[in-house]
Order: sequence, then C-alpha cells, then structure tokens
Amino acid sequence: MTSFDRRSILKGGAALGLASAAGLDGFARAWAQENQWKPEAGASLKLLRWKRFIPSEDEAFMRLVDAFTKATGVPVSVTSESFDDIQPKASVAANTGQGPDMVWGLYSFPALFPSKCLEVGDVADYLGKKYGGWVPAAEAYGKVKGKWIAIPMAFNGGYINYRISSVKKAGFDKVPEDLDGFLELCRAMKKNNTPCGFALGHATGDGNSWAHWALWAHDAYLVDANEKIVINSPETAKALEYVKNLYQTFIPGTVSWNDSSNNKAFLSGDLHLTNNGISIYATAKTERKDIAEDMDHAVYPVGKSGKPTEFQLAFPILAYTYTKAPNACKAFMAFALEAQNYNAWLEASQGYLCHPLNAYANNPIWTADPKNKVFREASTRTLAAGGLAPVSEKVAAVLADFVVIDMFAAYCTGRDDAKGAIRTAERQAQRIFRSS
Amino acid sequence: MADIALDRPAAASREGASAWSRLRTSRGWLGLWFMAPAALILLLFLAFPLVKGIWLSFTDTRIGRGGAFVGLENYEWLWDDSVFWLSVFNTLLYTAIASVAKFGIGLYLALLLNKRLPFKALIRSIVLIPFVVPTVLSALAFWWIFDSQFSIISWSLRHLGLLDHNIDFLGDPTWARTCVIFANIWRGVPFIAITLLAGLQTVSPSLYEAATIDGATPWQNFRHITFPLLTPIIAVVMTFSVLFTFTDFQLIWAMTRGGPVNATHLMATLSYQRGILSGSLGEGAAIATAMVPFLMLAIMISWFGLQNRKWQSG
Amino acid sequence: MAETTADHSEGMAYLDTLPRRIVTVYIPLIIILVVLLFPFYWMALTAIKPDEQLIDMDTYNPFWVVSPTLKHISKLLFETQYPVWLWNTMFVSVAATILSLFASVLAAYAIVRIRYKGAALVGGAIFLAYLVPPSILFIPLATIIQAYGLFDSPLALILVYPTILIPFSTWLLMGYFKTIPYELEECALIDGAGRWQILTKIILPLAVPGLISAGIFSLTLCWNEFIYALTFLSSTPNKTVPVAVVSEFVDGDIYRWGSLMAGALVGSLPLVILYSFFVEHYVSAMTGAVKE
Repeated sequence: MTSFDRRSILKGGAALGLASAAGLDGFARAWAQENQWKPEAGASLKLLRWKRFIPSEDEAFMRLVDAFTKATGVPVSVTSESFDDIQPKASVAANTGQGPDMVWGLYSFPALFPSKCLEVGDVADYLGKKYGGWVPAAEAYGKVKGKWIAIPMAFNGGYINYRISSVKKAGFDKVPEDLDGFLELCRAMKKNNTPCGFALGHATGDGNSWAHWALWAHDAYLVDANEKIVINSPETAKALEYVKNLYQTFIPGTVSWNDSSNNKAFLSGDLHLTNNGISIYATAKTERKDIAEDMDHAVYPVGKSGKPTEFQLAFPILAYTYTKAPNACKAFMAFALEAQNYNAWLEASQGYLCHPLNAYANNPIWTADPKNKVFREASTRTLAAGGLAPVSEKVAAVLADFVVIDMFAAYCTGRDDAKGAIRTAERQAQRIFRSS
Repeated sequence: MADIALDRPAAASREGASAWSRLRTSRGWLGLWFMAPAALILLLFLAFPLVKGIWLSFTDTRIGRGGAFVGLENYEWLWDDSVFWLSVFNTLLYTAIASVAKFGIGLYLALLLNKRLPFKALIRSIVLIPFVVPTVLSALAFWWIFDSQFSIISWSLRHLGLLDHNIDFLGDPTWARTCVIFANIWRGVPFIAITLLAGLQTVSPSLYEAATIDGATPWQNFRHITFPLLTPIIAVVMTFSVLFTFTDFQLIWAMTRGGPVNATHLMATLSYQRGILSGSLGEGAAIATAMVPFLMLAIMISWFGLQNRKWQSG
Repeated sequence: MAETTADHSEGMAYLDTLPRRIVTVYIPLIIILVVLLFPFYWMALTAIKPDEQLIDMDTYNPFWVVSPTLKHISKLLFETQYPVWLWNTMFVSVAATILSLFASVLAAYAIVRIRYKGAALVGGAIFLAYLVPPSILFIPLATIIQAYGLFDSPLALILVYPTILIPFSTWLLMGYFKTIPYELEECALIDGAGRWQILTKIILPLAVPGLISAGIFSLTLCWNEFIYALTFLSSTPNKTVPVAVVSEFVDGDIYRWGSLMAGALVGSLPLVILYSFFVEHYVSAMTGAVKE
C-alpha cells in the first residue's frame, strides 16, 4: 500500500520537476531584469561544491545553474569534490588567491579564512527579508564577528534511521525521545540481535554529528561562549558513561567506520538503527524496497536541558574576495535561494537538504512522504558547530581533528579511562584555542 | 662510434693531450650545464618549498592568513602532545615492521624467482601487479577486504567454522596496525623482489660451483657469496623502501584515516590532518619537519652501511 | 628455510629432485603469488559483480559471481569522462617521464663521467631529495604553482613529478653508466667529439636498457601519484585516473564499488601490458644498473 503511495508521489514529484524546469527560464529572465547585483560584463564563474549524496539533488542544482546562465549570460562551471577534500581545496584556494570563485562546502569552513571571503551581508538581508528570516543556526554559520561571510544555502539533517519492525520487536512503538529510554531501546535491540551502531571512527559527517549530540545532550561542552575550555567537567564524565553504555549495544566494528559504513551495513540488513541523512532511505527506495518499507526516521533524544542539542551539517556557500566578478557571485547566491528555484531544488533533494530560511518550511517535500517529516526540523533543532561558542576557525579545527569523537572512542574501547580521555581532549582544545 | 670517427677526420688529427686538457679546464662548467635541468627542477619544486615549509613550522600561519614568527612554540606544543607522540611511535613501528618484512619476503621471493621456473616472464609480470595498480585504489580494495561487516576474511573463517563473529579488522588497534602494515608489505614487496632479483642475476654461477666443489653448504653459499655481493643493492633498495614507508600517506588515508582513536596515525597523516584539514599550517609543517631527523638517521644508516660493506667485500 | 633459500644456483638444479622442488620452490611461490594476486582478483570480481550481490553474502558466495555484468565497465567507458582521464594520466606520465629522464641522464652522466668538483656531493644531495615527503611540500608548492599560473593545468604535474622521479632515475642511470667502458669515451674524445656527441652517440645507445628501466619506473610512479594530483587539479576533465575515480565514484556516503574497482582495473591495464612486454628488460636493465 505504502509502496503505491510513494510511487505515485515520486511520479508527481517528477512531473512537478519538469513543469518547474520549463517555467524556470521564464522566471529566470524576469528575475535577471530586476536583479540588483548586475553581473560584470564578460563574467564567468567557477563553482566548487561537495559531491552529491542524492543524484536527483545534483540534477536539480544543475538545472538551476543552467537557468542562471541563460538569464544572465554568465557561464558557471561546476566541479565537485568529496566531503573530505572540499575543505583542503577551499583552503588552498584561499591561501593562494586562485581557484574557484565560489565554494559550496560544509560546516564552518568559511570561518577558517574569514578575511578571504566576500562580504555578502546585502544578499543575506535581501533573502532574509523576503523569505521569513534566517533560522538562528543559519545566522551562526553565515556570520563571523557580525559580518556575513557566507550564505548558508542549506542544512542536511542527520537523524535516527531505524527499522520499524526491529524497534517494535524490542517492545517500543517509536524511538524514545529521552536519553534513558533510548539506551533501553538500544539494549533491547542488542538482545534481539538487531543491533544499532553509530560511527566512532574518523567520519566527518555522521561521526561528528552524533558525538556532539551526545556530549551536548548532557550539558557538556568543549568550550563555553567565551571560548574558555570547559570539557573537564562532571557532565562530560556522564556523557562518556552514557556513550559507553550505548557502545556496548553496538554492532562490532563501529570504531573503524567512516561516513559510508553505516549506509552499507543498514542496506545489507545487518544494522537496525543508526544516525544518517536521508541518503540510506533514498538508496533503499530504488535498491532495497523491502528495507525502505520497514524503515523510518526519528529525532535525536533530548537531553536534560529539555532542548534539542542536535548537530546537523550546514552547507554554506562563499565567494572569495579575489573573484573578478563579485556581483555575479552575489547574483548567483540570491538566485539560488529564490522560491521558484529553491523549492524545486529542495524537492529534488528528497529531504536530504533542509532550508535555512523560515518560509521554506511549507515545501511539499516535508509532507509528501511521512518518513521525510523529521528532516524538516533539522535547521531549527541544530546548534551551530561550536555548541555555545561562536563559529570560528578554531571550532572548525575541533571538527577536523575529531577531538570529541576520539574522546568517546578512547573511552569506549578502553584505550583510556574517563579522566585520561577527557584530559587528552582538553589538551587538544588548549592547543587549538591557545591564541584566544 | 665508427661513424663519429668518420664524421670528424679533422679532429682525429689533433693531439689527444690537448683534447684532455681542454676538457679538464672546462670540466666545472660542463658539469654545471649538465646538472642544470635536474638542479633547476629540484631547487624550484623541492628545495624552495622545503625551506618554505620549515619556515612555516616556526610561524603560527593558518590557512588563508599569514602568520607571525613564533619561534619554537609549535614544537613546544607538540612536545607534550600525546597524539603526536603516538603518531611518532606508530610511524616507527610501521616503518620498522613493514621494512623488515618487505625485505625478508622480497629477498625470499627474489631467490625463488631466480630459480629455473616455467613461465618465468609471466610470473615476473604477475609479481609486479601490486606495484602497478594505483595505490589509493588498491588501498580501497583492502579497506573493503578488511571491512568490519563484509570482510571476505571474516566471512571465510566463519564459513569454515573457525569463528563465530566478524573480526574487527580496522576497529581494534592491534588488528588495524596489522592490516595497514600488511597492505604496505603487499604493495612494497614486488618492487624489492624484482630489484633484488636483478642483483642476484649479477652473481656469476661459477662462484657457487667453485664453492660447492669446496664443500660449502647452501647456507654458506648464501651467507658468504650471495649476501655480500648483494649488499650494495640491498642498501639502496632498503633506503628507498624505508623512506617510502616512513612518509606513507595514501594507504593510511584510504584505509583508516588514522583511526581507530589515532592508533594508525602516521606523522604524514597527522601533519595533513592538522595542517590542511584543520588549517594550522604552522603546526602541520612542524610535524612534517619533525620527520626530517628520523629520515636523516635512516639515510645515514643505510648510506654508511653501504660504504662499509662495500669496503669489506673488497 | 635457511637451507632452502640458498638453493639458487641454476647450475646445481640437477641436485634437486622433483618432490623437493615442489616443497621448496613451487609451494612457497604459489602461496606468495596467491596473496599478491588476491586483492587484484577481488577488484576484478567486484568490477563485474551486480550491486545487489556485493553486500548480500548469505545468498551469494562472495568468492564468485552469478550472472556477471559489464554494466560498471561500460558505464565507466561510455557515461563518464574516463577516456579523458586515462588520456590525461598518460599524457602527464609520459611527459613527466621524458622530462625527468632528460634531466637524469645529464645529471648522472655529469656525476659519473665529468666528475667535476663536488660531483659526489651533488650526487648525495640528489639522493637526499627523497627526504622530502610530498605531504609537507604540497601547500608551499601550491603557492608556487599558483604564482606561475599553472593551477589546474597538467603542466603543474609535469613539472612537479620529476622531483619524485629524478633521484631514483639518476641513481639507476649512474650505476648503468659506470658499466660502460671508459675506453670508448676516450677514443671518441681523442677523435675530437664533444661531450654532447659522446653522450648522444655512444653512451645513450648503450644505455637503452637502463633508460627503459628508469622510464618504466618513472611512468609507474606518475601513474599512481595521488596527493599532488588531488591538490593541483580541480576541474573534472583535467583529472588523472586515481584522483578522478575516487572523487567521481563516491557519492557522498555511497561508494560505487563496481565503478571504483572497474576504474582501478582499466586504469592499471596499460601498465600491466607495458610490464608484460618489458619485464625481462626491466630485470636485465636493473641488473646492468646494480652491477658495479
């Protein structure tokens, strides 16, 4: 029954996509007339983006790029790099003053080199006013020291992916939204031999996001709002204890996992609960329909503070100060986030991307499939990369150095006791935050 | 040669002594001209960036922002950084075990290949295959072979009834180290074996025949004929091997990213992670610079080993 | 084992009995070959395995493939820019190899035969060039590459790769040149030939095996290089095979195993063919080089 529904929805979605593609050019031409950032004569843009997770998202993005080129006459060449390579590439470009004009990357990477980023406050104001304002996390990612240095184009929600039947079998109707209940569920699932698993290896996306959630859910933070190091606290010890208990219910091998490992294990049917974006579901819909039927998504449990402490991927786009066509860059950013473009793109991403502007919460993708629903909240339930601290190059370094994951992994695997694991993390934080 | 003589009948009449003296006086210049292309490339694209890198290690440069000179600060921070020391330990362990094993297996394989075998050429090209496949892709294949859920090794052992669970190849520190070292050996053995095979073929069979007539055992043959004659090539090949192993990057990066909990982080990967991924160029450069003394030591050992042995064996 | 390892003289093969040879030669050799080849077999198998068989190890025996598919390979060749990447790799490798052979021949000849003041020192310095790991060099190098406007151009790799190739090639050719008798050169010098003529007309023809050996070695290193290619090239049509395969066939958190492994296989094929033609040459050239 559900399969019939989904298929018809997919068809509908595709038809919608086509219709909007045809309409896109007309809109684009009208838009170009009114656009306040007139592209420089003879401008052409090079854009580097992260390598797609969902093919249809990539296709929709390219349609948008084509429409922009047709309307403004500015050719845009798009290249893509994997998650892990995009930041080094962006850094090298910033360092050497040559390379792509714009980079669409992840987390707080513009904060690594704020002085090299074109200020885009006017674009942010324009879009914010028109589309119901930016969500707080978007503002946190886009602004460094009060200046907009990047436009957070989208977020990616990573949520609990679970097999419905396995959770039922463990005696739960749904995934509990409190920490203790969640641990109970994982224990029961382990007993049934339908284990859960979260990446404890150097996994940029999945690993960082769940480890920070676990830390923050216990009101423990690496640094406070003034960048003072506060990791050495009883709260952290509690977080370690919780994660260790959780770890004992994991499928073996999670310490070596990278971002792709849980997808593979889930799609093979060995893994029954993990954290991931919607890409597992998207793949399952085409390759493992039985698993797609039997899976759903849930939000992360909420900790003691009663507020969500999720850590979702942000995708900000920046333009470099060295670009010869700053107006064309700004025009592109504004164009991409206009409703006529953005809605179609959001839909094509099948829930993988989540909007940074409040107005897009009504996009049909969030209601088209009930299994998409939780992903709508990603941008409003997330904290920014620093937790309490402002987004900065140091916060980016904490993520790139896997300080928090390594702390949990060291304790869970018994490599270190709680004190030792915390001390190592504290030491790394001191190193990273030393000049502040 | 003959046609040179024919081409230059006039030159032939000149006195040999003057030709030699002409050469001797201009030798320095000639040398310079001949060295120029190699020197230019190495200075521009190796020495210059190297100096720049060492300079970076004394600054607090971050990506996208020039840094100020901070003296030894980066090194001081590294000095009591347990992760850094772990990476030093890992690098030494990785280099030592992999190099010794590569040498042992490489030499053994070379000795085997030096025997009379059917399909000699075919076998030799097969042996070289691991050397030919792009490293990063064979590392991915290894990553797949050592996967925590889908490892073919775990699968086979389970189906043979020897195990009831998967081996956590890349999640357990000892296993993870074993796996990356194994992959490195796999990749390195062919080159060493083929080069040592080349060395073996320079040894004249008559030496062995003479020794055997004198009643030498095969082990004595090896110990007193093969090994001494092979020493120069062993020294060179092992120097290269140690260097390549010590500075290895791709294999670790593709297989473990330094995990689990930094148990396989080498200095090169840590330098990349700190310098490039987290943007502290100065610190990354300091880690990379810290590799230099170790490499120097390795080179000195093999270099002097080479000189020494050569002299001994006459 | 010690006893058996020393048993290498062909002249004494008559002492071996067949069962003894099986135990001491064939079995160890077969074990080593199987271990060396297994990952390659695994790659080949993955390249022709339909996706659903890959992670379903209960229904399908993972060591074999049911109804193999050429989908991954045909997709690779006809739906991606793989042929372009292959061409890039070839072009860059061949050009860098020629450049470094040129530089190495001159340098090796100068060190061995011209023996100018400080030749030994320079020889040592070239050897020391290996001290420098690419992982420290690539950020400063990136600045230099940018300054010369070479970013995202194959020329960047063609100029940088020789830094990895020259040290080994020079050493190899030095050894080779030493084996060429002095008398030949002396005669030519007396005949009034210049150094350049001696090099091109006498030394080089005699050193062809050494050149082949150094060339194949260099080609392999270029073909497999990863970090520099990853950093210096950015647009998809300019990439080399190892970099392109890894970046184009990993869709975020989904690895396209079939395409990845097909890409690796097809990408190694040219070198495998090259080696199968030249392996005997390679060995004998090395033999020449290491004979001192």
